[in-house]
Amino acid sequence: MTPSPRHGLRVTLAGFAVVLGGCAWDTPQSSLVARSDVAQAILDIYGLITWVTIGIALVVFSVLAWVLVRYPDRPGAPLPRQTRGHSLLEIGWTIAPGLVLLVIAIPTIQVIFRTQGEAPRGALEVVVRGWQWWWEFRYPSLGLVTANELHLPAGRPVVLRLEGPDVIHSFWVPQLGGKRDVVPGRINHIALTPDAPGEYLGQCAEFCGASHANMRVRVFVDTPPAFERWVAAQKAPPAEPTGAAADGKAVFTRSACVGCHTIRGVSAGTLGPDLTHFGSRQTLGAGLLPATVENITAWLRHPAALKPGVKMPDLGLGEPDARALATYLASLK
Amino acid sequence: MAIRPLAFPQVHAPAATGVWSWITTVDHKRIGILYGTTAFGFFLLGGIEALLIRLQLARPGGTVVSAETFNALFTMHGTTMIFLAVMPLNAALFNYMIPLMIGARDVAFPRLNALSYWIFLGGGLLLNASWLAGTPPDAGWFGYANLTSRQFSPSASVDFWMLSLQVLGASSMIAAVNFIVTILNLRAPGMSLMRMPLFVWMTLVVQFLIVLAFPPVTVGLIFLTFDRFFGTHFYDVGAGGDLHLWQHLFWIFGHPEVYILILPAFGIVSEVLPTFARKPLFGAPIMIYSGALIGFFGFGVWSHHMFAAGMGPVADAAFSIATMIIAIPTGVKIFNWLATLWGGTIRATTALHFAVGLIGLFTIGGLSGIMHASPPVDLQQTDSYFVVAHLHYVLIGGSLSGLFAGAYYWWPKITGRLLDERLGRCQFWLLFVAFNVTFFPQHYLGAVGMPRRIYTYPDGPWSFWNLVSTLGAFGIAAAILLFIVIALRSLRGGAPAPADPWDGRTLEWRTSSPPPPHNFDAIPPIYGRDTYWREKHGPRRAPLAPPTEEHAIHLPAPSHWPVVTALGVGVAAAGALLHVAVIVAGALVTLWGAFSFALEHHRNPAHAHQAGGLGVDHRKLGMWTFIGSECLFFGTLIATYIAYKGRSVTGPHPHEVLNIPITTASTFDLLMSSLLMVLALAAVQRGDRFQSRLWLGGTALFGLIFLGFQAYEFTHFVREGLTLQQNLFGSTFFVLTGFHGGHVSLGVLWLLALLILDLRGRLGAEDAIKVEAAGLYWHFVDVVWIVIFTLIYLVP
Repeated sequence: MTPSPRHGLRVTLAGFAVVLGGCAWDTPQSSLVARSDVAQAILDIYGLITWVTIGIALVVFSVLAWVLVRYPDRPGAPLPRQTRGHSLLEIGWTIAPGLVLLVIAIPTIQVIFRTQGEAPRGALEVVVRGWQWWWEFRYPSLGLVTANELHLPAGRPVVLRLEGPDVIHSFWVPQLGGKRDVVPGRINHIALTPDAPGEYLGQCAEFCGASHANMRVRVFVDTPPAFERWVAAQKAPPAEPTGAAADGKAVFTRSACVGCHTIRGVSAGTLGPDLTHFGSRQTLGAGLLPATVENITAWLRHPAALKPGVKMPDLGLGEPDARALATYLASLK
Repeated sequence: MAIRPLAFPQVHAPAATGVWSWITTVDHKRIGILYGTTAFGFFLLGGIEALLIRLQLARPGGTVVSAETFNALFTMHGTTMIFLAVMPLNAALFNYMIPLMIGARDVAFPRLNALSYWIFLGGGLLLNASWLAGTPPDAGWFGYANLTSRQFSPSASVDFWMLSLQVLGASSMIAAVNFIVTILNLRAPGMSLMRMPLFVWMTLVVQFLIVLAFPPVTVGLIFLTFDRFFGTHFYDVGAGGDLHLWQHLFWIFGHPEVYILILPAFGIVSEVLPTFARKPLFGAPIMIYSGALIGFFGFGVWSHHMFAAGMGPVADAAFSIATMIIAIPTGVKIFNWLATLWGGTIRATTALHFAVGLIGLFTIGGLSGIMHASPPVDLQQTDSYFVVAHLHYVLIGGSLSGLFAGAYYWWPKITGRLLDERLGRCQFWLLFVAFNVTFFPQHYLGAVGMPRRIYTYPDGPWSFWNLVSTLGAFGIAAAILLFIVIALRSLRGGAPAPADPWDGRTLEWRTSSPPPPHNFDAIPPIYGRDTYWREKHGPRRAPLAPPTEEHAIHLPAPSHWPVVTALGVGVAAAGALLHVAVIVAGALVTLWGAFSFALEHHRNPAHAHQAGGLGVDHRKLGMWTFIGSECLFFGTLIATYIAYKGRSVTGPHPHEVLNIPITTASTFDLLMSSLLMVLALAAVQRGDRFQSRLWLGGTALFGLIFLGFQAYEFTHFVREGLTLQQNLFGSTFFVLTGFHGGHVSLGVLWLLALLILDLRGRLGAEDAIKVEAAGLYWHFVDVVWIVIFTLIYLVP
């Protein structure tokens, strides 16, 4: 069967579809979707500069193409005129880029000062601590501590205070704004107001060692009532476990777990994530896997097999103990 | 194409066959070939590392390599490509072409040139020995503190990285001093600075960048070495250290380094385009000024690498504006290249393909650079794949395209054989397409949130374009393999190249392909830009008569001391990983090599007079250049001391231990030694044997007295409880004054060596230049002490 023109057209269209399909801009971690005031300010200037640079590129490429097409060598061509320069032209194309840059520079400076200001009074403060390789979130005004999944209310100013207990990390949730380094010995901050409820992905953007790739963060921007409900649930003490979960709690209290993890009313470790309401989180290991009992069990048995370099030691738990412990952790809603 | 027949000159050239002749060679052309082949080997290694990175990322959740290996791969890929591939490939062209293009017979210091190469080789081998030791560096080519501290990187990985970077830095520094002196002093008669070819100009700018940009990172690496080996606190947050210190020191070097990598390519393109458009370079003076301005501004923009670090809006705004300003001279270059092509008769050779490719691809890289010159945009783009795309458009699309343009352009000159132009154009198109397939999609990946340096990613919107990018990377590998095939075919049976295959414009085309060991039978005089072209095509058809050679052409004799000295340096660096005895052995070999090196041609009449185009002796000019870099070295140490002042979390504090009266005495002693140095030089110049011995010995003695004061002060401080490890004050104080003391010690050794020469009756008035060079160094070290004394002891 010879390919018909119609067939060829269909293949071409399918090809384009694949290319464009592969180029979806509205993806969970896209920097080209703005869901906060800061992200929107950045995106506006991002767009402006993109169009200006595309314009410059088109001019340069057009001239280059024209020159190459217009002036090829031909056999027997005489020597071209030996032009050595043209002062006026050269002054012109020194000044012109300067003017174009002004178009970029002025809004840039405006946005720098607009997006790096102090947070307004009444902003919700969250202390963000970047650890190798997970995120800790503390809400001083609410008395809450959680990890890897950050809940924020929509429409209310937020200030994230970034603290580094070990090495440098960088907090980046593209749809909520640009990244900011978490530097030990310094306190950086990000002030923003998320404007649309939803789930936004991010991850550490500064190389921080073996599992840099496995240091992801999820931000849930909730409607104000939903956020209030979440706060109430987090403030409540964890429910007392029953059945297999109660066995798991016994495993937890007699193992090394208590040295690093806090479960309110059970243990008070501070080197690992707070697990008081672990069961309310969707993922484990800083966005590594869905927090199913199966996955938690696998994690508890050999954490380093799932997350290279992880600071959590191999506890030597057998399958039954690990499963019971996983059931307990999953029950901590 | 007529080279005027000349009476065959009398040349004293060394015999040149066999392996030993290559090891001991000091011929800039052979050293260029050594640099080129070695760097190409490292380039292939860095390419294999890149392919493994792309294989791992071809699919989500890749399992080709482990996370740890992946981190080592991208660290080594970056370090290798920058320090072991692109920089030395540029150095290969500097070595081979610069003396030819300025009409010189060799570089100013041929043996130092060999030393640079051998130290470079040692550094490259040391870095890659880390693979064999099983601890490859894995903290990124930028090695951000405190991930590089013992606490977070306990193995030898970071040690290999920092030690080999120091070795490579020494090699670059020696080469840079050499090329600055060569270019300023060895130009053919009539070649004023503004008549120099653009490639020579860009080389000169790059050497100044190396001399001024390496010292800050050298100091940063010294701090890291002390932190890791001796327990100091430069990057220790708990002791009051500031992690931004490393970032500043690294990027004050790191951003000029970008121009160190790209400006040579700009120079090559500025030679290739006029040749193949058969027109002069459009606006040569403005091309020179813009290149120099890019280099100059390059020092004022480093913090644009730190927009996410939290420097505050004022610093962000300032560095943003400075960065945007660099776009202006860069844009001027692109417009002038287009104007050079405009109205020409363009011969579409392979070299021209690559040069035009550079204009197109670098434009893309430059424009994406403007995007992240805007801090708000940068906060979304930095450390994402958008930046990976950007930097590869600059370094492959820019530097590598330029290097390939240079390779195709100068290959006939270097090998005496032509390359297959048809296959060459195939290679260009294969590389061009594969490069864009690899890196253009990475703009998209970064925009949709894919960070750099991640060994794995979940299935989702990133999967498809990562696969495409990996396929493209193998296309690039195929293009490099094709280049190897083309090169080997040319070496085996390529058509012989005439002296001037391209109807060239610059002096290298005036001599045979390959050139004779002495380069030119007669040094051609220069009466303007493109003199050689005008001789062929212009109204003044007859070349000017060359100046008559007064004596036979003297070529430097081969020497094995460069390789011995370099071996000592390499052994000493490796010793830091093995045993202190190995360090001592390496240091002794280095000293032995250096002294033998220095005395090898002492009193050889052919080496007596080395005054050049500027009317200044090479050695003096070289010393001034070195002192320029030393200013930056001590400036960085002093700035760190001041920045860390008052940040110690424990005592003792400066006012509790510093003893101003005693230090005033030692300062006075050092000042007086400068006076004796002046007297010594005057005595040597007069030929007054007695006084020269007296004052040389006196200067050395006063230096020793100063060192004695310092030893007393140090032991006294240690008894007071101030050690290197005690607090930040101890760390900064001992490292600063210790390195100054080290400089004084070297000066004393140098003076004693001169004194011994003098006592043996081998230091006459004709050797005064050697005392003068030592004196410059001595006075500089004294001036540094006055600054240290004022800022550390006197300012409260």
